Amino acid sequence: MPSPLRVSMLLALRGLERGNKFTLCLTVLIMGLVLVMLLFQPSLMTGFIKVEHDQITNLMYGNLVLEPKEHQLYIKNVSILTEKINRIPGVIASSPRYVTAVTITYQNTSVAETLTSVTPSTENQVLTLSSQIISGNYLTDGDNDQIVIGTLLAGHKDTTLDLVKSLGGVEVGDSVEVTFSNGVVRTYHVKGIFETHSMMLDQTAYITNSEMEAVTGLSDEASLVLVKTSSTGNEDAFRTTMMQYGIQEPIKTWVQEGEGFVWEVIASFEQINSIMIVFSLIIGAIVVFIVTFINTINKRKQIAILKAIGITKEVIITSFLIQVICICLAGILIGLVLFEIIIYYLTINPIQFPIGAVPPVVDLEWTVKNIIALILVSLVGGFIPAWKIANEEITDAMRG
Amino acid sequence: MSMIEVTGLEKIYSLGNVTVEALKGVSFTIRKGEFVGIMGPSGSGKSTLLHQLGLLDTPSAGTILIDGADVSHLNDKERTHFRLMNLGYVFQDYALVPELTVKENVALPAIMQGKSFYEGYAMAISILEKMGLAHRLDHLGCDLSGGEQQRVSIARALVNQPSIIFADEPCANLDTKNSRVVLELFRSVNRDLGKTIVMVSHESWHWEYFDRILLLRDGLLDSQWTDMETWKEEPDPESI
Repeated sequence: MPSPLRVSMLLALRGLERGNKFTLCLTVLIMGLVLVMLLFQPSLMTGFIKVEHDQITNLMYGNLVLEPKEHQLYIKNVSILTEKINRIPGVIASSPRYVTAVTITYQNTSVAETLTSVTPSTENQVLTLSSQIISGNYLTDGDNDQIVIGTLLAGHKDTTLDLVKSLGGVEVGDSVEVTFSNGVVRTYHVKGIFETHSMMLDQTAYITNSEMEAVTGLSDEASLVLVKTSSTGNEDAFRTTMMQYGIQEPIKTWVQEGEGFVWEVIASFEQINSIMIVFSLIIGAIVVFIVTFINTINKRKQIAILKAIGITKEVIITSFLIQVICICLAGILIGLVLFEIIIYYLTINPIQFPIGAVPPVVDLEWTVKNIIALILVSLVGGFIPAWKIANEEITDAMRG
Repeated sequence: MSMIEVTGLEKIYSLGNVTVEALKGVSFTIRKGEFVGIMGPSGSGKSTLLHQLGLLDTPSAGTILIDGADVSHLNDKERTHFRLMNLGYVFQDYALVPELTVKENVALPAIMQGKSFYEGYAMAISILEKMGLAHRLDHLGCDLSGGEQQRVSIARALVNQPSIIFADEPCANLDTKNSRVVLELFRSVNRDLGKTIVMVSHESWHWEYFDRILLLRDGLLDSQWTDMETWKEEPDPESI
């Protein structure tokens, strides 16, 4: 170790060891809390995004979505298409569905909603909606007079408890009347009620494709075909492969399909997050600045003496920066412990959002970036007063 | 052989629109191994002169040669290095680093010079033992009496084996008994180790330890005294 660094280390470590313990502990604690502020918001955002991603891929769209060609309402020859898709390596399953607007009536209450039809046997290989049933059962392929509805659409008998307009407390076994856009009116028995915690999904209803085709007169067509792939994250590559296999329908990834209000929420989260990070870092820098400033003011004469006996100002500045790093590292340690406790608590008791329960998720990259940012701003906060005092004239500082 | 040669040394302080001429062209020479006292009434420029000689401040005009080298125009970094390698300081209020032990305080300049912790501590212990402070090695400065702290301060000034030691009223905060201990120590360092010592003092009776006295008045060198029998007859320098 070079001799100037040895002297810096000696001055810094002895300063911490024999300085004011209360001030030191308080500073470390503040730095820890600043780190918690830096990490908590992103962890919540990551958790929010993860829940949303899971909902989109597991409950709404799978990994890829095929849409009708331009100027067409439906995808044609769906059975051939799905057979072709299913042969592509890496594709687990594909499932066609019709989506239409309907009016659902229960007793005297009517709600205009989206009705989706699926082939339950294939749908179950793509999505996990069937596992979200909280009452009754999910559809099976032969169901023609059955419907499953979301919990928000089902609603409560006491409608003041409903978050959105509902059917007023539909339960399994009840009958609802569905009016299709072609004027056909059908009565369905409620087979099951599902709860996904997604406000969008929980307001919808599902019937079988065979029933939908019977009502609409369509055959071997679909509004969408959902595709489940073996892995998430390389949808673009799968899309290219599917196009190479001769699939001509427009293919969207779940990310593109999920664009909408969720992404606006995430963007807003990111904005808030950026502001919080900037403010937290400023607070961290100011805390370190004030602590170092007071320290340097108290040691003004001592610093002059050190310079007088031949200790360079670089050594003096470095000694303060070593102290800052030590305080910062101790603060980071405390902050990580506090953060882990918060994460543990919120994993057991997650925060409820409109998209469901969101447990915070630690993003290692964010954590490392924020820790580095905190150390850097702390060094800047510590450097300024140290540099200022170290550059003071010896005789001025000695006079006090 | 001269150790310090000062020619036309001036120092002017500017305080807003007011300028104060602390030194108005001082010239003198100090021989190698000499023990020189700088005396004079308050405001005569004693400490200012010591700060210029010790490279703690830059003169407004004039030249300072130390061991033949012109040090009056060194930059900040060069002055710091020169102080570390060639000069030792003893201050009025001991000026020990409060967080460091006695041993660490003394070893600090040696470590800065490039010695390892082990070597630095060994040098510090050796000097402190000679000064009768072996039992205080691991104490903090605040645990020591004023006289002991000043002896630690002298040990720190000696650890780098400087050619000159500057002392700014080192006995100002000590009683007569402790002052004599400290002055004896300085005389021993001067005579036994051959160090040149320049000491600012306002105590008339300190003459008996000096080889020569430079008497300052109003920023000018009023007189030099080598005949201490004559100096004894002079009134207290504070009242000159």
